[in-house]
Amino acid sequence: MKIKLDNKTIEVKEGKTILEICQKLKIKIPTLCYHKNMFPEARCRLCLVEMDGKLVTSCSTKPIEGCEIITKSDRILKARKMNMELMAPGVDMSKLSDDFEAREIYDEVGLQTERFKPVKNYKADLGASLVRDNNKCINCGRCVQVCAKMQEIFAIDFVSRAHNEHVSPYNEKHLADVACIRCGQCLINCPVGAISERSHLEEVKKALNDPKKHVVAQTAPSIRAALGEMFGMKPGTLVTGKMVAALRRCEFDQIFDVDLGADMTIMEESAELLKRVTTGGVLPMITTCCPSWILMMEQFYHDLIPNMSTCKSPHEMLGMLIKTYYAEKAKINPKDIVVVSMMPCTAKKFESTRPELETGVDYVLTTRELGRLIKEKKIDFPKLADEKFDPILGLASGAGDIFGTAGGVIEAALRTAYETATGKKLKQVEFKNLRTNKGIQEGEIVINGKKIRYACANGGANIRKLVENKDKYDFIEMMACPGGCVGGGGQPIYFDDKVLELRSKALYNQDSKREFRRSHENPIVKKIYKKYLGKPLSERAEKLLHTKYEKRSQF
Amino acid sequence: MQILRETNLEGLKLAQKIGKEKVLKILEKKGLVGRGGAGFPIAKKWKLALDTKANERYLICNADEGEPGTFKDKFILKNNSETMIEGMLIACYVLEVKKAFIYLRGEYDYLREELEEKIKEVIGKSGMNVSIDIVRGAGAYICGEETAIMQSIMGYRGQAMYKPPYPTVSGLWGKPTVLNNVETLTNVPQALLYDDWNPNYRLFSISGDVNHPGVYEWELGVKMSTILDSVKPKEKLKAMSFGCFGGIMPVDIKAKISQDSICKENCQHGAYSIIFIGEKHNIVDINLSIAKFYTFESCGKCTPCREGTVRLLNILKKIRDGGCNDEDLEMLKELAQHIQDTSLCGLGQSCGNHILTGLKNFKEDYTRCLKK
Repeated sequence: MKIKLDNKTIEVKEGKTILEICQKLKIKIPTLCYHKNMFPEARCRLCLVEMDGKLVTSCSTKPIEGCEIITKSDRILKARKMNMELMAPGVDMSKLSDDFEAREIYDEVGLQTERFKPVKNYKADLGASLVRDNNKCINCGRCVQVCAKMQEIFAIDFVSRAHNEHVSPYNEKHLADVACIRCGQCLINCPVGAISERSHLEEVKKALNDPKKHVVAQTAPSIRAALGEMFGMKPGTLVTGKMVAALRRCEFDQIFDVDLGADMTIMEESAELLKRVTTGGVLPMITTCCPSWILMMEQFYHDLIPNMSTCKSPHEMLGMLIKTYYAEKAKINPKDIVVVSMMPCTAKKFESTRPELETGVDYVLTTRELGRLIKEKKIDFPKLADEKFDPILGLASGAGDIFGTAGGVIEAALRTAYETATGKKLKQVEFKNLRTNKGIQEGEIVINGKKIRYACANGGANIRKLVENKDKYDFIEMMACPGGCVGGGGQPIYFDDKVLELRSKALYNQDSKREFRRSHENPIVKKIYKKYLGKPLSERAEKLLHTKYEKRSQF
Repeated sequence: MQILRETNLEGLKLAQKIGKEKVLKILEKKGLVGRGGAGFPIAKKWKLALDTKANERYLICNADEGEPGTFKDKFILKNNSETMIEGMLIACYVLEVKKAFIYLRGEYDYLREELEEKIKEVIGKSGMNVSIDIVRGAGAYICGEETAIMQSIMGYRGQAMYKPPYPTVSGLWGKPTVLNNVETLTNVPQALLYDDWNPNYRLFSISGDVNHPGVYEWELGVKMSTILDSVKPKEKLKAMSFGCFGGIMPVDIKAKISQDSICKENCQHGAYSIIFIGEKHNIVDINLSIAKFYTFESCGKCTPCREGTVRLLNILKKIRDGGCNDEDLEMLKELAQHIQDTSLCGLGQSCGNHILTGLKNFKEDYTRCLKK
């Protein structure tokens, strides 16, 4: 099909929208409500172009044979600017964080805020994990689409109409009171930063400044593959050493590795799996590292509670060990220890407030908050020299590293389960069928003549699909965010799905370079069991490292 | 009145006898166009839906008559609903529809029981295997819009969707769907059956400062003097407004009312609902109350309509209160034009009409309000 684009006649494929054609030709068109993974709704009216003399939205319009399209003219620029001004009156550009899409587009279109006065006056909705400020919202609807289509949670939708239209949980309830899984995918996809995490930064700073407090930092596997992005480094750059160095400059007393907590999880979880398989326990067993999935299960699938592994998530396990094992060893009163987890996740903030888990972790910072803290301390992050975790709880195996990516938990658990049960070494520790970047991955392994069928799902919609087919499997991993924790709601904002692949690759690289690649080989894990816990699933381990779940209402 | 002629299922029988191809041909030849406002030829619309391959098609009768000053559909529903239902059955026959809907305006709920009985009766008499469901609107004006009506029937938020894909290709549940207005469907059997059927007869809803408001039937091109003779103005008339969205223009006794003469003034005839405005009114007040209507009724989906309408209202309020200068007038014009140019659906695209035509035709009313 031939069309005329900016006075040039070009040949285009039928069925593509004008925006897609322009993006391919590197013609820049500002967009806000458009997201390539979602259904275009043409709400924001920013991507206007002229087609045969009429203003149309390029995201939703497909060209017709022989039409003439203009992407830049006074009329177009004026209309875009007017829509921008209508959408975001009263936006304080100086307060707008750099990491949001809108910043660049506001600059590009040229936002003036004096012509229209804001008409919105909403109270911010404070949840345990997420904060929603509808005064900043431009009603682009991306959060609604993500929640409904990618996660299939349907926690939020538009309510009311005309200039009163705004996004809210049903019946204008608070986010904290509805069936929201706190995954934070709405936040990741918000172009203007109307949704943010409930910040624990002030509390952490207060603890750091308190000489009586012994502040311990622990960092999740996936943040080391993403934190660099906050400082302009390429996606997928591994910054483990720099991160530790920066945390030391932030004056944390000890810096431990949640990857070790992941190793502990594997020890407990693989033992639990073997126990269930050999004694005829409830199968499939489902992993419990993802707090969003736990919330989803408690709200929508609470009949699965017997299927859930009773293991706490890695950072809660390590948090518990810090307040018991480490406190004993370092002779510090556990009451003076403040455990701060650096997590890629907004739901972990909620998890740390669960009454049954309250004693372990005190505060959770997301990757973005950590980046902000480092920026506030004026640390030149990319130039830092690598440093090592504190040795008491600072060594992890490769199995712990890959927890941060979808399929990693199963892979790590099976490495240990196979080898501890059979006493043989795995020939191939890398499970290729769990590294396919697909939403649902599956496979099987034979342990002592018993076939164990496993599967993992990432993203809420895929979880729902896998729950339907759960009886086909013995061991299931669920991760609520796309790509697993590397795509978590606490991670730096990303615009391209390739970023997730790069982050996963970085973790797999770290795994392949480790001296120990199996959790049960980790000398610290061995030491903890020998000196403190006995063996996996021992009475003490059950008390410290395992938890329980409750049924929650969807309404 | 032509619209009240009853066809007693003769039209349907004729259609079934001659086959759908011929029905379409007759409708095309007789020049029956949609009466909802856009004036799209009915034969063309039906053909588009027929040309889309599908195992199922739907028909919607749009009885969500929400435009202020329009009440002709209510008149038909009260007085000749059998013929309308027959029109729907003909459409069902031609389009191979098994399930049809009547989207009834929420305020017309009192007509529902009677209508349901009539539907049962007419379908029973016709012997056709179709169902016609009545869906009651919940009061949103936007749900009279082609795509929003479908969202509402499917149970979603009543918000407009962009086109294409047009409903004749992908409408209700992704299937080809034909949406026709009450008046259009009532005309279908009449056009098929009677040789003296006149395509130019229209129902006019007349209201405002007149002694005899109501529904009238005139041929397009009717003289203004004829209209005024029938409706008997209460006082000297200054302006006439085409519903809420068609625009506002001076009353010219010599003029003939037709599509062309209205469009010449940049107005839209819509469903020919005319609100006459007497001399004692200020056009700013009229526009203000119209602005209140669409500021309330905008669905909130797209930026210019959601954020723009409330600002139009605010500027108009400021003008009424005498706190404005020329700059505000310019802003009003620019904003109205902008909303028209960049909105997603018909509501936004025509909500500036009143402001723009009002500013053009009744500038002195605005300047009178300016700050001195």
